[in-house]
Amino acid sequence: MTAYIIRRLLQAIPVLFVVSVLVFALIQVAPNNPLAIYQNNPDISPEDLERLAEQYGLNDPLPVKYLKWLSQTLRGDWGESLTTHRPVFDEIAERLPNTLNLSIIAFVISLIVSIPIGVVSAVRQYSWFDHITTTLAFMGHSVPVFWFGLLLIIVFSVNMQNPLAGTLLFPHAAPLPLFPGGGMTTLGADAPPPLVDRLWHLVLPVTMLSVVQLPQHVRYMRAGMLDVLKMDYIRTARGKGLSERVVTYKHALKNAAIPLVTIIALEVPHLFNGAVFTETIFSWPGMGRLFFDHAQRGDYPVLMGILMLSATLIVVFNLVADIAYAFLDPRIRYD
Amino acid sequence: MLSKSIRVLLGVGLIVMIGVACAPAAPTQAPAATSAPTQVTAPSAPTKAVGATTAPATAATQSATTPRRGGTVTIAYSQEPPTLNHYIGTTSAMWSINAMSLEGLVTLDPDGNFMPQLSEALPTKENGGVSADGLTITFKHKKGIKWSDGTAFTCDDVVFTWKAVMTKESGAASTVGWTDLDSITCADPDTTVAKFKKLYSPYLALFRNPIMPKSAGDPANMQKWAYNRKPIGTGPFQLQEWASADHITLVRNANYRDATAGKPYLDSIIVKFVPSVDVGLNLLKSGQVEVMWNLSEAVLPTVEKMPGIKYVSKASTSSERLVLNLADPKIDATPDPVNNPHPILGDLRVRQAIEYAINKQQIIDALLFGKASVATSDVHAGWAMCELKVSEFSLDKAKQLLTDAGWVPGADGVRVAKGAKFAKDGTRLRLKYQTTSGDKLREDTQQIILDQLKQIGVELYIENVPSDVLFGTWASGAFRRHGQFDIIQFSPNPDIADPHSHMYQYYDSAMMPTAANKGAGANYSRWVNKDADKAIEQAGGILDLKQRHDLYCQSAQLISNELPVIFLYNRSASSGYSERLQNYIGYNASNPDFGANAANWWLK
Repeated sequence: MTAYIIRRLLQAIPVLFVVSVLVFALIQVAPNNPLAIYQNNPDISPEDLERLAEQYGLNDPLPVKYLKWLSQTLRGDWGESLTTHRPVFDEIAERLPNTLNLSIIAFVISLIVSIPIGVVSAVRQYSWFDHITTTLAFMGHSVPVFWFGLLLIIVFSVNMQNPLAGTLLFPHAAPLPLFPGGGMTTLGADAPPPLVDRLWHLVLPVTMLSVVQLPQHVRYMRAGMLDVLKMDYIRTARGKGLSERVVTYKHALKNAAIPLVTIIALEVPHLFNGAVFTETIFSWPGMGRLFFDHAQRGDYPVLMGILMLSATLIVVFNLVADIAYAFLDPRIRYD
Repeated sequence: MLSKSIRVLLGVGLIVMIGVACAPAAPTQAPAATSAPTQVTAPSAPTKAVGATTAPATAATQSATTPRRGGTVTIAYSQEPPTLNHYIGTTSAMWSINAMSLEGLVTLDPDGNFMPQLSEALPTKENGGVSADGLTITFKHKKGIKWSDGTAFTCDDVVFTWKAVMTKESGAASTVGWTDLDSITCADPDTTVAKFKKLYSPYLALFRNPIMPKSAGDPANMQKWAYNRKPIGTGPFQLQEWASADHITLVRNANYRDATAGKPYLDSIIVKFVPSVDVGLNLLKSGQVEVMWNLSEAVLPTVEKMPGIKYVSKASTSSERLVLNLADPKIDATPDPVNNPHPILGDLRVRQAIEYAINKQQIIDALLFGKASVATSDVHAGWAMCELKVSEFSLDKAKQLLTDAGWVPGADGVRVAKGAKFAKDGTRLRLKYQTTSGDKLREDTQQIILDQLKQIGVELYIENVPSDVLFGTWASGAFRRHGQFDIIQFSPNPDIADPHSHMYQYYDSAMMPTAANKGAGANYSRWVNKDADKAIEQAGGILDLKQRHDLYCQSAQLISNELPVIFLYNRSASSGYSERLQNYIGYNASNPDFGANAANWWLK
């Protein structure tokens, strides 16, 4: 097993290298230029632009730019943003906790809700419960997320008022929306207590994000359960006279959880990436917006930092998934 | 595993492509307007409020009720500046936020007239502020000004600011004007003496830029200053905190010079960054923010219907126009357009016919909900503002002019040349019409104009390009600079504080981009008019604002007569705000700059 892990980690090096070359090239062909914001400014002369391009290293040929970036990164320096001039590491470190705050909660909620639903609808296949959840899952899957997010805002933040406005929990005088339509904290003197405030702000974006993930998880869980329930050992368990409860939760669920664990491990890296739509609609200062904002400005050091972090996490968690699989299913061997 | 990586890459690629052309606005606007402005110079500029629901004039004419002290105002911004260092950044959000905390020696009032800010008065020849040769400018500072950190503001800070801009490693974006300074010296701590190498007519505009305290850091290291995220100024508010992508908190500056008068009235201002205008409008509607900054004309009808919400709207300097190529587009960047005219557009009568056939008001009503004004010139706001006649809409006159010019209706309705001035007989009256792709307002405008010109037998065909192609550099072979186009549509962003660089770059015949000048200049029409050259160059060689105003008006009139460009509509700078917020006024600006009156805002 150890040999396998070491081999996989060594394999990751060329993979990450190829990813970095491709990503770097892709970013460079995109037409966004960090100096674009200066170009239509009548007070910035062509000489000024030339001087800045030289200073930012934009005139270097692509391979030179890449090698500069690579040597810097290998030395542990993530570089500096070309627009904010702050270290890329600081930019990411500032946003990552916000994104994890949102995505982990949504992910956990989605799992807690989806596992029982998936199990029940598999056990009672073709029952009214199964039909309703499958239909809802299908709808949840097809709903455009940004539309759903805006709908949440209109209903819960614009139309509905907070009945607790003016109380100890929500000191702000009415009118106060039922849930805030954006941001992470209430600013100003009459903010709710910090924990209440954060949870209050999390409600809508978490709802939106869970609704995106939930149908997928329900379908995986349901399909996994259905597969397992057809297995011979389940029939054997029933034949031994075990109660349906024990059969379902002890024998079937354990085995059906294996593919789900793999899926969870593969989804973890995406928790770090941030959800561009959710963060955009709910003004959540996370990684998704960091990426989007800097992509628009062609700020390649920041983009490279985010993308390489994400590529590394994907490589690592693929390995984790494979290892977890071996632990859960003794038939799988990697020697 | 690899396929997963590839999927990630594809996703990344897609996201990167989405963020293509986002032509950002150029800068320019004034820091905080303070006490009773000593309005100076230039013609009386009537407030050009476009569809404003309030009628603001100046900071002086305001509500009769006694302002209430205290409270917090939250302003939603749809754009986050990358930096607040005025000399590195350029975004309009930066200008607008800095206007609440930073100040220059002089500033602009809501109509774009100069007024003193840190300086006691505007330096003129009459008050001895400008030397006889016009090269030495003396600014006497107001007494007892302090930075928000409590240290005294002195002339050394002005010297420091100039040196920081001029330090090569500082990464300052614009050095225009600063390079024309020979020296800045201090006669005493409260007197700044600026000496120019040659006469610099936009001298006031230069000193409108905010002054930086010399404690900000080492100029060679300017891009990394802590100042850039927490600037220190002399204005009514002081930046306290900046949480990226979330908010900026500004609090009352206890050292503000009008603190004894109770100003600023508000305790704090929170700038909340929202990722889209829709989100910001929802926050405004539900009372979670008091102001939504920078609204386009198209959303104003929605804002109008919101209970308890008003909006303020004034013309920005940006006006959408058609730039007509007067030179032969087949020749690369000809330096001699007079002898190589455009076969169709080279004839003034054709250009006039095109203008007569465009119903500008109809475009404004249909696409901008009537919330913009018909554009007539590049000097339609600010101290250089000129009142020009709005062009007439007349299909009959347009048709007559084309017929006179030797363009007769063809079999399919499109006119063909028969004795035209520059076109061979049989040439179809067909022109390529280009603008930036993906801009809905521009594309809709194109459709209307295409239809309108069809009625007089002019055929347009659209070939839009991404903005970085249209606005590309000479070296990249951009057709705008190389003169290889018929009609292009866009809107530059002239500086409200001084129209000179814009007027010179866009209309002086020396400013045609050619191989000889390596593509410098912005006279894309290749318009040659000696009288206009003379007026513009003369305006750039004197300091008196009244005389300069008259000269710019002369050139604007010549442009309007000869039509190297056809102006369509002036974009407006608008903001929606809660009725509770008092003294919230609009500014004629290059950018939606509404922070300048922040000292006088108060909440009912």
